[in-house]
Amino acid sequence: MERKRSDDYESGPLPSPRALDRFGFVKPDANTSEGVAKTNRSAYEYEKIKERRRVRKWRKMIGVGGSDWKHYLRKKPNVVKRRIRKGIPDCLRGLVWQLISGSRDLLLMNPGVYEQLVIYETSASELDIIRDISRTFPSHVFFQQRHGPGQRSLYNVLKAYSVFDRDVGYVQGMGFLAGLLLLYMSEEDAFWLLVALLKGAVHAPMEGLYLAGLPLVQQYLFQFERLVREHLPKLGEHFSEEMINPSMYASQWFITVFSYSFPFHLALRIWDVFLYEGVKIVFKVGLALLKYCHDDLVKLPFEKLIHGLKNFSEDAMNPDTLLPLAYSIKITKRLEELKLEYEKKNGKITRSREISENEKPILPSIQSN
Amino acid sequence: MSRRGDEEYDYLFKVVLIGDSGVGKSNILSRFTRNEFCLESKSTIGVEFATRTLEVEGRTVKSQIWDTAGQERYRAITSAYYRGALGALLVYDVTKPTTFDNVTRWLKELRDHADANIVIMLIGNKTDLRHLRAVNTEDAQSYAEREGLSFIETSALEATNVEKAFQTILGEIYRIISKKSLSSSNDSAAAANIKEGKTIAIGGSETATTNKPCCTS
Ligand SMILES: Nc1nc2c(ncn2[C@@H]2O[C@H](COP(=O)(O)OP(=O)(O)OP(=O)(O)O)[C@@H](O)[C@H]2O)c(=O)[nH]1
Ligand SMILES: [Mg+2]
Repeated sequence: MERKRSDDYESGPLPSPRALDRFGFVKPDANTSEGVAKTNRSAYEYEKIKERRRVRKWRKMIGVGGSDWKHYLRKKPNVVKRRIRKGIPDCLRGLVWQLISGSRDLLLMNPGVYEQLVIYETSASELDIIRDISRTFPSHVFFQQRHGPGQRSLYNVLKAYSVFDRDVGYVQGMGFLAGLLLLYMSEEDAFWLLVALLKGAVHAPMEGLYLAGLPLVQQYLFQFERLVREHLPKLGEHFSEEMINPSMYASQWFITVFSYSFPFHLALRIWDVFLYEGVKIVFKVGLALLKYCHDDLVKLPFEKLIHGLKNFSEDAMNPDTLLPLAYSIKITKRLEELKLEYEKKNGKITRSREISENEKPILPSIQSN
Repeated sequence: MSRRGDEEYDYLFKVVLIGDSGVGKSNILSRFTRNEFCLESKSTIGVEFATRTLEVEGRTVKSQIWDTAGQERYRAITSAYYRGALGALLVYDVTKPTTFDNVTRWLKELRDHADANIVIMLIGNKTDLRHLRAVNTEDAQSYAEREGLSFIETSALEATNVEKAFQTILGEIYRIISKKSLSSSNDSAAAANIKEGKTIAIGGSETATTNKPCCTS
């Protein structure tokens, strides 16, 4: 069922030899002039040197195969936080993501479960999943090949999840989460990370984003709208004059944690922080984007505004300026208050059904860690 | 003539694109607004938005189109966008009978959430896949007649009938609007008021029903 991805990857014929960026996405157009190519390269070299230094530090922190991680984390949580905010080295990302999300523990405590879900169970969502497979990261080389290893593992992870939690099943958008994870880890690891996120191994469970009625999407949009008005009153005012509400532009931010349409290098940096600090960072990045573009956005009328909110400039999406701006926005307390306010109005988010059978052997181990 | 920045138009019509996931809504929209088709398009998460201004019955009409995610669960978000829409393009895939069977459910969805007099057009998309066709033109046609919908088959890929579909629904909306403005009053000021878009043009959200600034010039 599951093989090492890299072998697999090389065995099949690639769709067509097109120019790829460093993450494996097909470049939009290969009309890069000499000059541009050169500056990119030197920036890339610089990145590499910086990265090498970072990797050394990180390796020390993690220990062999993650053996020192928990110890380090307990001793110096703030050092970890600071380093993660600067970005996890790409070569260690997959491992670190599993450590900080709690998915490693889930995997170890549930041997054979994933295989069972993939091979023996059938899901009511199979056709829905298949329909979307080729529409998930269609410009990434790993997912492009029809029935290739990328598409197969994406299918397996999503199907397994839809069986694991039949209330959630499969919802469009989950594929982007799974796809992003699969670029950094095996399908079984990706599956358990998905479980850790949706079931809330470390942070608040995300499953409400996908349950019937999309209750958590609604709550987040409510909170976000209020935060915009409070942090950026002029823009908030402009939004209400122009009848713009966050469901027009921000649902995707929450449902796919910025992995749907943002530059991949930015999405990765957001995910680093997201897995360690939780969904708060999605709000902060959203606010930071609006703040950064504030003076342009307040001038735009309805249609251009919507366009602007779905197509931020390269400038705005540079992680090294956007993320520090995001970190500087303090929302923790307010977010909690707004949540209570929302619950007062709409009731607490509860699942339609009690914990389903599949989860029984697994959930207790989530909570115990 | 209404004015918004550098644009001019006589009417502003809001239209929604609905139908099962994967039937080609987003590609119909991109074909219509940008003349683009994409075999590798992403599934829609939530709603997307695009506009195009064109001549309909000799008038300049700006169409403001909301493209929604087709998966059932997304209706929690997308149904808010039906309100205030003057037209709905209800799309199914001619190669997938289930998407045609679900048309009935989509109609119910419109009845529950959209304005009662919304103009609905049924669209059978992907006619280029001739060897895979599984829904007869005649069946769809007679279903449409029974339900009082207009009907057309399209191929977003081959750019067949996409333009015509929009022309038709916008024309229908136009005729209803202009008839209304005549019957409601012969007073030219009232007619002009409607023409300006004050009572018909709709902004984005469910709350945007009448005085969206972009419609009042
Ligand atoms: N052959 C053919 N394929 C089409 C046509 N229109 C769309 N497609 C393909 O069908 C798939 C789905 O198209 P979309 O436009 O993404 O479908 P959608 O209705 O927007 O789906 P959701 O966003 O999930 O609701 C894509 O792979 C398109 O390339 C068509 O006219 N002919
Ligand atoms: Mg779509």
